[in-house]
Amino acid sequence: MTAVSPVTLACPVPLVAHDRVQLGHGSGGKMSAALLRQRFLPALANEALARLGDGSMVNVAGVDVVVSTDTFVVSPLEFPGGDIGSLAVHGTLNDVAMMGARPVCLTAGFVLEEGFPLDILDRIVRSMADAASLAGVPVVAGDTKVVERGKADGLYINTTGIGAADAQFRPAPERARAGDVVIVSGAIGRHGMAIMAAREGLAFETTITSDSACLVGLVERLRTARVDVHVLRDPTRGGVASALNEIAAASGVGVEIDETVLPVPDDVRAACEVLGLDPLYVANEGILLAFVPAEDAERVLAALRSHPLGAGALQIGRAITGHPGMVALRTSLGGTRIVDLLPGDQLPRIC
Amino acid sequence: MCLGIPGKIVELRDDTGLAMGVVDFGGVRREVCLAYVQDEARLGDYVIVHVGFAISMVDEAEAHRTFEVLREMSQLDELGWLDEVAEAAEASRGSATTVTQTGSRIP
Amino acid sequence: MKYLSEYRDAAIARPLIERIKRTATRPWTLMEVCGGQTHTIVRQGLDELLEGAIEMIHGPGCPVCVTPLEQIDKALMLAARPDVIFTSFGDMLRVPGSDCDLQQVRARGGNVRVVYSPLDALEIARRHPDREVVFFAVGFETTAPANAMAVWRARELGVPNFTVLVSHVTVPPAISAIMQSPDNRVQGFLAAGHVCAVMGWTEYEPLAMRHRVPIVVTGFEPLDILEGMLMAVEQLETGRHTVENQYVRSVRREGTPAARTRVEEVFELVDRKWRGIGEIPMSGLRLRPAFAAFDAELKFGLGDIHVNESPECHAGEVLTGKLKPPRCPAFGTRCTPEHPLGALMVSSEGACAAYYHLAKYRAASEAEPAGAVS
Repeated sequence: MTAVSPVTLACPVPLVAHDRVQLGHGSGGKMSAALLRQRFLPALANEALARLGDGSMVNVAGVDVVVSTDTFVVSPLEFPGGDIGSLAVHGTLNDVAMMGARPVCLTAGFVLEEGFPLDILDRIVRSMADAASLAGVPVVAGDTKVVERGKADGLYINTTGIGAADAQFRPAPERARAGDVVIVSGAIGRHGMAIMAAREGLAFETTITSDSACLVGLVERLRTARVDVHVLRDPTRGGVASALNEIAAASGVGVEIDETVLPVPDDVRAACEVLGLDPLYVANEGILLAFVPAEDAERVLAALRSHPLGAGALQIGRAITGHPGMVALRTSLGGTRIVDLLPGDQLPRIC
Repeated sequence: MCLGIPGKIVELRDDTGLAMGVVDFGGVRREVCLAYVQDEARLGDYVIVHVGFAISMVDEAEAHRTFEVLREMSQLDELGWLDEVAEAAEASRGSATTVTQTGSRIP
Repeated sequence: MKYLSEYRDAAIARPLIERIKRTATRPWTLMEVCGGQTHTIVRQGLDELLEGAIEMIHGPGCPVCVTPLEQIDKALMLAARPDVIFTSFGDMLRVPGSDCDLQQVRARGGNVRVVYSPLDALEIARRHPDREVVFFAVGFETTAPANAMAVWRARELGVPNFTVLVSHVTVPPAISAIMQSPDNRVQGFLAAGHVCAVMGWTEYEPLAMRHRVPIVVTGFEPLDILEGMLMAVEQLETGRHTVENQYVRSVRREGTPAARTRVEEVFELVDRKWRGIGEIPMSGLRLRPAFAAFDAELKFGLGDIHVNESPECHAGEVLTGKLKPPRCPAFGTRCTPEHPLGALMVSSEGACAAYYHLAKYRAASEAEPAGAVS
């Protein structure tokens, strides 16, 4: 741009210098990370929080306990393959499991909008109860608040999970090592595309169902396989790409993944093609990523495949010493693509 | 500019004078405006869809032909490669053969 | 997916790449005009695979990159109005205007909705007769028929609360402008397959003749693009300069006549400013007077506004191939994907952002930590 006028308006503001919260701040991408680092961590800083894991380990009277919390806002509340109730149970139990802990109990907090139909509430609470009892983890405390009509979108749920830590099994985001192989337990992109297809305005008919599931049983198979699993992560919002970026940054390794082996179901791929989205950034709620020493890869794959949720487990890449903190994808043609964190939400595109 | 995806017409209908239809993209279906291809488009035909509009027909015979040409080209090329390697090897053994362009181009 | 997956076959692509390399007796500089093709090239790493044989310049073919700042600012003004539901393709939500983007307007209370099709925006207008529904009608010739039909239908169905903010551009004048530039480096073009699916390619024949430049109408999948490159290189190597059609399965010489007719009924040609490049004569579309009732600029009295881009941003020179992004003084320092000065740093396929990621990756790959064992 060479045209310089004496009364030049300011250049476009940097995209992160916002004065208000935007949807992108909840996307799991760069904006979320910036919000965390710039707003929450300075005020609430402590050693446990600073590690930015799925939760934290605290010592309660000599016993290591894992605590994790998550808040669920999803539209629509009921979607193919699940609803906000079961999702709120699975999501938090999965976070506890990703720290290698055995979930012991859950708490649940509800924010309800005035006028919300009680029959839908009943269905959601029943679904929550079913999910909790299937996992064998009771909801031991709860809270309900009601806000005026228009002050919330129907129903929000927060759940907190408590788990018993296992000194022999402590995967953590900073424990990835160069040479580790990266394993995914199943198909990617299902939850996010199931939700997006159901959204008003996009209205696609698909057969895609959310993968929302409790991963506690699957993690138990890994525990009993007696393998030193370095990292476990459930790639929820922001998808596999964001989770791998966080692990690469936390561990100071590079990550290389192979496009040709990524398990993207045909219907997810088709929906992504139509909307111009990348399945690597689409949310999942029922798969995990594992970084394990190369020599243990076969045992880990066998352990995962022995469980129905891990039947499709496979190796998708490895951790390397090169490009620390970055994720690179080897394309099917042999080219390289950098898989960076997105600034905010992935949006449907025409171009 | 232009994300256009090929899909198969699985339903045709008229919405108060506008030709509409349902197009299947590998299992994902969406309502699409067929007004611009309505003179040609039949059930089962493939169309290129951009922002909810069919903007052109997919010519299945041409699609097949293009793909075959590409495939043959790649196979011939691999053979061409072998020739070249052999010739180069020969040349390096001291023979006077010059390495020539393989030129296995499909018109 | 049929007609998609088979054109991604690596077993065919690899020999094609080798063939291009062997055919090119010297490095050639080609421009793909369309953002969709840039997307494939960047995502598949085709640049890297063809290094030394072909340099691809990512041209001005994405509405995100070329929609002028004035129109973005008008969109932001409309979206901020309490009586307006502002509808847009997802692409435009993060494009920086003078002081914010559409996502920030939404955060401040604007009703901004992403739609897949302009007909969806029209449907929102029919369901909310008490609100003004504005659709941001951006894009090239591919999108123009859809946007034209939405306006046509609004008139036919009598939807008084639907208007469009038009910022349409057309490809051939841009090719002409690039070729006429004294320091042009482009030696051949891959023309945008979907633009030609609508328009056909007759408009390109005089361009190829006049500027003695090969133009190959090309599809969007890796094999399409590689074949298009090969066809362009073969022309260059043999001194030819004609229009050829690689995307035979979807493009005919005459395009899709019904779509062209509707575009001509609704829109007329106008001089249009391209972001980063400046005004190109008769390169844009605006609503014909008969459709004035659906023109958001008239309805909301937006008039002419004058704004200026950051003087530090050299997007125009990048888009026309005169400057490689790393040579821009702001590149990677004052201009990064997190703090973009211009539109090319915004989307991951924007030319500047693509170079930025590659540069970061190469730097990180070379600087391996000492003593690290794999």
